[in-house]
Amino acid sequence: MQNIVNRVAVLIVGMGFVFFGHYAVAGTPVIELTIKDHLFFPATIEIPANTKIKLLVINLDPTAEEFESYELNREKVILGNRKGVIFIGPLPPGEYPFFGEFYPKTAQGKVVVTDQ
Amino acid sequence: MFLNSVVLILQEILEAALLISVLLVFTRLRSIRPFWAIAAIASGAIGAYFFAHHMASISEWFDYVGQEVMNAFIQLAILFILAIFSAKYLGNTHSPHSSQMNRGFIVCTLLLVALSLTREGSEVFIYVGGALGDPSHVQPTLMGSVIGAGIGISVGVLIYYGLLGLPTKRISTSGLLLLSLIGGNMASQATLLLTQADWLPYSRILWDTSSWLPENSILGRLLYAIIGYEATPSLFQVFSYATGILLIFLCAQFSFRKQPPMLIKQTSTTTPQ
Repeated sequence: MQNIVNRVAVLIVGMGFVFFGHYAVAGTPVIELTIKDHLFFPATIEIPANTKIKLLVINLDPTAEEFESYELNREKVILGNRKGVIFIGPLPPGEYPFFGEFYPKTAQGKVVVTDQ
Repeated sequence: MFLNSVVLILQEILEAALLISVLLVFTRLRSIRPFWAIAAIASGAIGAYFFAHHMASISEWFDYVGQEVMNAFIQLAILFILAIFSAKYLGNTHSPHSSQMNRGFIVCTLLLVALSLTREGSEVFIYVGGALGDPSHVQPTLMGSVIGAGIGISVGVLIYYGLLGLPTKRISTSGLLLLSLIGGNMASQATLLLTQADWLPYSRILWDTSSWLPENSILGRLLYAIIGYEATPSLFQVFSYATGILLIFLCAQFSFRKQPPMLIKQTSTTTPQ
């Protein structure tokens, strides 16, 4: 009897590791977005639908930029030669434009959410 | 660069302009001299400078979401002080006030304006500071900033005289309405920022009014800057906006209801002297 209890316990713990371990390893997907010469690279980011994404914005310009998107409801200042994290999603399929509020003429981009 | 500066500075200034105007109206109603505003604006400017100066390191806190967390914290602090202010000082505008009451009033208004300017102003410092690094940007940026600030301040003056021009009975209630909108805006923005930082879970978008009033239209941006209009608000945002409004309203009811006892208390304490 004791043996069976032990085996079940090991199984449960093992399953827990598989389940949560997978979650921890997979975590939130990270996508890098670079700002250089007041431009976004890449200008188009493709992400799967209904998935939370960690957007790592790296500003290589010496001046600050503000990542802004009305469609994504996001707004964040990224200082010169610094980086910042913005969480977006989960989102339904569609196009979500974003721009740099400090240099909107050149700093333009979009997030394309695709149904996969 | 010029037009962008006008819009950017105007957006940053409008929210604070509304707050300052409404608080100045209540200052007038209580016959307090408005000198606190000068101290509040000065301390807000100093706060904004230091906030901007340390923004680089603040941004790296909590795994690169420090900016959101700090801004949300300031907004919740504004909401909290606004609730205290509404509960204690909104109602009894026509009764005689002890100097202690007036001191509390001034401390609240000073903190509110200083905190609001610290958050909004830091972005102005970061933007203008960056633009000044490029010699070709200096003139259009400065010109645009001055004009943007000028329009923002004018809107504030309009709100101030607009409120004071109302029938006396309506002034307090209209002021309260605007304060509760500010409270709702603070709560909703804080919620949005904490969601952006992944400190709050995602909640679904409740409605989409972007085809009626797009957020990037002039009116949309104006409303966004003043009362936090969102074309696609999330469930949590709508909930927190409503909670913010309700909180300020309920707190104000508390002070309106307290009015008669306050009068009795004050006359009874002043008669023996």
